[in-house]
Amino acid sequence: MNRLHPRIRLLWVGRSLLTAVVFAGVVFGVGRVVDPAWLPAWAPAAVLVAFGGLGSAFAVLRYRAWRFEVREDSLYLERGVLTKVRTVVPFVRIQHVDTSRSPTERLAGLASTVVYTAGSRGADVSVPGLTPGDADDLRERLKRLAIRSEGEDAV
Amino acid sequence: MPRSLSPLSVPYRVLQRGGGLAVGLAFVLSGGVNLPFLGPAGPLVVLAVAGVAAVALVGYETAYVRRFSYELTADTLDIDSGVLSRRSREIPLRRIQNVDISRNVIQRLLGIAVVSFETAGGGETEAQLRYVTFEEAKRLQTELARLKRSASTDAEGSASGAADAGSVEPEPTELFALDRGELAILGALSVDLRVPGVLFLLVSTLGSTVVSTYLSAVPGAALVVVAGVLFVAVAAVSWIVGAAAAIVEYYDFKLVRSGDELQYERGLLQRYDGSIPFDKIQTLTVADNPLKRHFGYATLYIETAGYTPGSSTGSRGSEAAIPLAKRDHVLDLVEELEPVGDVDFERPPRRARRRYLVRSLGAVGVLTGLLYAADSLLSPSIPWWPPLLLVPLAILFAHATWRHRGHWLGEHHVVTRNGVLRRKTKIVPYYRIQTIIDSRSVFQRRLDLATVTIDTAGSLSLGGGDAAAVDVSGATADGLREELETRLGLAVDAYRVGRAGIGFEDEYGQNGAASEGGDDGSRDGDDSVVRNGDDSGENTPGDDAGDGRTSLSDGDADTP
Repeated sequence: MNRLHPRIRLLWVGRSLLTAVVFAGVVFGVGRVVDPAWLPAWAPAAVLVAFGGLGSAFAVLRYRAWRFEVREDSLYLERGVLTKVRTVVPFVRIQHVDTSRSPTERLAGLASTVVYTAGSRGADVSVPGLTPGDADDLRERLKRLAIRSEGEDAV
Repeated sequence: MPRSLSPLSVPYRVLQRGGGLAVGLAFVLSGGVNLPFLGPAGPLVVLAVAGVAAVALVGYETAYVRRFSYELTADTLDIDSGVLSRRSREIPLRRIQNVDISRNVIQRLLGIAVVSFETAGGGETEAQLRYVTFEEAKRLQTELARLKRSASTDAEGSASGAADAGSVEPEPTELFALDRGELAILGALSVDLRVPGVLFLLVSTLGSTVVSTYLSAVPGAALVVVAGVLFVAVAAVSWIVGAAAAIVEYYDFKLVRSGDELQYERGLLQRYDGSIPFDKIQTLTVADNPLKRHFGYATLYIETAGYTPGSSTGSRGSEAAIPLAKRDHVLDLVEELEPVGDVDFERPPRRARRRYLVRSLGAVGVLTGLLYAADSLLSPSIPWWPPLLLVPLAILFAHATWRHRGHWLGEHHVVTRNGVLRRKTKIVPYYRIQTIIDSRSVFQRRLDLATVTIDTAGSLSLGGGDAAAVDVSGATADGLREELETRLGLAVDAYRVGRAGIGFEDEYGQNGAASEGGDDGSRDGDDSVVRNGDDSGENTPGDDAGDGRTSLSDGDADTP
């Protein structure tokens, strides 16, 4: 079973820290503008530490939980911290495969491979935290497997 | 031969567009708006401007209707339209899944209709004709179905031998018609649950001051009575609204099977004539509620890939094939569409009941807590204990949730059943499975339970309608994942050699050659299945692959 690139942890930790900063900022703003009596002065800092710490812990656990494997007839994914989700995407159901790089991913030097099916829920199954080369390789591999599964009867 | 829209389109379109203009004009002229800068001749100027606008509108619509032409050729639908900027479209017939007709009251009086051409897997209508006569609309429906049938038999090639298999009109057989009695019962068993929500919103925003002053004047016990009366009143209104909506929507409902599609007609104010091609069907859902179950009724929904014309329930991608009928009748139709056989549900393990018990008791607890908080915060004393009376009900509900839950792996389908107040039995053919998702929340992991969701194309309706085996044991979930994947593979292989398809009577293991006899549409079902050949059940471009498969199936069909 394959794991994601370790650098994805940095990306996720970064994202949760950013969220923590935003929340702390909001609490700080509320404290300054509204200044309710029950809000202690250390509240923004506490929010920052709490959200940041939780978020970082989550990021690491998420990285640990992520697995994927290209099996004989399907793509198999395992992910999730609180809710563990295992997804099976049969090759015969793959409509098309993309690689995508968001701005933060580009900063971290990573990419994602996104698999599209016709299903309404699993319509975009994406594997994050791959190096650009690996993401392209995975895309090509899945594409070939999807095409081959269509014409398997062609001897 | 190119055709035009109905001449009646002009006045109707003018009235439709100009309606708003006319209302505004009447408002201005009656003195509702003060236009001092126009002076004493103000109203006349407004009238003159409106007159010019009206003439321009009539002129534009006349030009539009005259310059609009459409033609149904052997492989395409050609539409030329536009007054100032011309648009010329050629839509390949194989992209069009079906032709839907809708008419409102006025349109029915005038004898015109809106024709919508839908594509597979799309969220929109591909093209629309506003407006043609109803006869012309019907002609387009049958013509398109015929052209698609003959196109698919042509693509099948020499193997079939009988070229007239495509030119034979399939005999439409009526499968179901909703009579007045059933319509009345349907109304009686329909409740519109949006009404309480809207009322609550209204009361909380507009009536809050009224309510609070009223509350302080009423003693605690009487408050409960008042609350009870209110509840009954809201329920009554929801029921009436729901009944009216159901009756308007399903008035004179008919379901007919014609060749490789189902055709339906329904509606009182807005009349719909539509079709559900078999190869678009993803899932069959048998739905009921406690009332329906008690009287022995059920509803059948067909979930399709793509968009279906508007119904008031806002169901997208799902059409009620049977709004209401006796349960046996519904199951008979299901059997005709998909030979499921006898279903023997496997329930979740007993420990799952713990989860449901916690949930329902928790809901009672929350309600009690809310009332207690209200009691301590507000001045009148509100009794917080009434919700506790619901505890036995909560326990029963938890047990019922467990009892009605189940899944079953059939020979060609997976069937799941969930829900108590809105119970849904979902039938998913293996070859419609898209992705398989096994999820285990923290609480589920503690009890070694899992939920296996079966994703299909088009389960966008009925509020999150994926088939799922909920709260099965962990080991069962592991087995289900593998089993579903395997069976999907087998079904796809069988589908490809033309031995599978909804409505295809000789399916599943029968000799491919035997099925070539081609009785009313079974062969057609085969052809459209193989030719469309896309395992996701939708049409996608790339017919090269499709043709390749067709010729392969020709070769394979000879080997039993």
